[in-house]
Amino acid sequence: MRHVAFVAFKLLLERKRQTLVSVLGVSIGVSAFIVMSSLMIGFQSYFIQQVIDLEPHIRIKPREERTDFMFEEPVLVLGERLKEKDKILGWYEIMQSLEKHPEVLGVAPRLVSRGILKYGVKDKPVTLLGIDPQREPKASIIEKFLIHKNLKKLETNRTGVILGVLVAKSLGIQEKGKKLLLVAPNGQTLLVTVEDFFESGITNIDDARVYLNIKTLQSLLDRQGEANEIVVKIGDVNRAEKISRDFQEIIPYEVESWQRAYRNFLSIFKIQNTITYMIVFAILTVSAFGIFNIIMMTVLEKKKDIAILMAMGFTRRDVLLIFMVEGFVVGLLGALLGSVLGYGLQEYLESIKLDVEGLIRTKGFVLDRSPLFYLYALVFSLFFSLLASLYPSYRASRLNPVDIFRSQ
Amino acid sequence: MKVVELLGIRKVIGQEEILKGIDLWVEAGEFVAIVGASGSGKSSLLYVMGLLDKPTSGEVFFEGQRVDFSGEKELSVIRNQKMGFVFQFHYLLPEFNLLENVILPAIKRGMMKTEAQERAYELLKRLGLGGKERRKIYQISGGEMQRVAIARALMNNPSLLLADEPTGNLDSKNTRAVMDIFKEINAEGTTIVMVTHELDLAAQAHRIVEMRDGQVVRA
Repeated sequence: MRHVAFVAFKLLLERKRQTLVSVLGVSIGVSAFIVMSSLMIGFQSYFIQQVIDLEPHIRIKPREERTDFMFEEPVLVLGERLKEKDKILGWYEIMQSLEKHPEVLGVAPRLVSRGILKYGVKDKPVTLLGIDPQREPKASIIEKFLIHKNLKKLETNRTGVILGVLVAKSLGIQEKGKKLLLVAPNGQTLLVTVEDFFESGITNIDDARVYLNIKTLQSLLDRQGEANEIVVKIGDVNRAEKISRDFQEIIPYEVESWQRAYRNFLSIFKIQNTITYMIVFAILTVSAFGIFNIIMMTVLEKKKDIAILMAMGFTRRDVLLIFMVEGFVVGLLGALLGSVLGYGLQEYLESIKLDVEGLIRTKGFVLDRSPLFYLYALVFSLFFSLLASLYPSYRASRLNPVDIFRSQ
Repeated sequence: MKVVELLGIRKVIGQEEILKGIDLWVEAGEFVAIVGASGSGKSSLLYVMGLLDKPTSGEVFFEGQRVDFSGEKELSVIRNQKMGFVFQFHYLLPEFNLLENVILPAIKRGMMKTEAQERAYELLKRLGLGGKERRKIYQISGGEMQRVAIARALMNNPSLLLADEPTGNLDSKNTRAVMDIFKEINAEGTTIVMVTHELDLAAQAHRIVEMRDGQVVRA
């Protein structure tokens, strides 16, 4: 192999411009792969992590049923309304039985309703989440997202509320202690005090939610002792779907895992991943064509050299390996340079401070800087480089030296 | 001892019979010149003799052993270790300097680079190229290029040197220089088979083989 390496490296070193162009092509593909993967997976992981932390891993809620129109013949009723049996009967007993499950870490009841908050001349429709301040931290990591960590205030101050930061922003509230009017769907009103703000980073949650004590909401809605949601936290979040199916068999209410609740987002992520990897694949394919083109050109230019190498004892395998080694080295150098570029770009993107507003809100780009992306990039670039050099190398190895000598 | 022996060699390309049943052998230490008009089959015969081309029929013996043309590796080993080639065009690799061009067959053979370089220095010096070892091909003259090609052919100390019109591109001064080198290495024991169409050069060989229309008419 020494003779193969001797010729291959010499050709690479002496044809600097061509080598550099090939290496740059691969490195662009590799850095694009690393940066796009870390951005995309970073964003998705962040979103999923926030959801897992804030949202129940499993939610039990009343089933939505159609109104009981009885027609002899099926008819389509446009605008048909859903009737909600908006409560869970025996919710305390259900919670007790769920707590015995070995994979359940915590269970909490909730009463969820719509409402309107009024502050001065401004008002905003919100989702009211009546929670048990003692039980809730066991079933979600709500405290992590509270700016002043004042969850316990909901126990002592029954008229205390915790506002999503975007709800507060819409109403023009910037500090706690402000008083505002809460209007329930039944027309009842209550003067409430802002005790804290929570910021999950997920726009549609921060822009709608208001937490308050479940007992306060029960009395406001005149639904004493009622709950319409049970939230469950489990040890292994990836088993939520399986456990929810098990619960469904014994609980006469709808049991929904976080994966099912966010299935639309997860489907979008899959599509997003597919599109991103298709783009990266296209970039790597273009760089592979660059390698193919350059090695093919080299083979065509160096027919005479290949012939004399064969005359002096190089085998067809040697010739094949010379050009395959060239492709491999270009892929390797491209991967190394691309990794350095990718690392630099990651550092740069991480250093940028800007308000990202969208599905999630952050103060900059959320990156997943897993070393696995570098490993995958190395494997892909070597694979593409070897694939690209295979055909020209094979063509070179099949040259007949006598034909070349005769043609001179 | 016969270095190479050809028995009933025929070579057909397409519809054309290039070599028509050639019987020929070359003794060790001989300097044989193959002459003939253009298209007479001289080069084709040399390619068969150099195991670069498989004959359509017939047998080739090298140092007494019958050559099996189906084993590429064995053919490569013989070409690398027992033969040297010099062509009308030098076929030097432009990316390599003189020294690197010359050591290539030795590196292929498995010789250590330092050892190969020592021998290459000696050869280049002997062929009048001392001090130019690190030069690139484009930095030397045509005659010097051909001498580098001869040094490369001699690198593995071959028993048979095959030369196809080695002076075809050279002026008379360089032609003389190349012929002097050939005679010198032949005198040291290397068997040489040289294809040429120049009769005055052929006359300097021990034996002249004349070809006409794919046949040996004088051996």
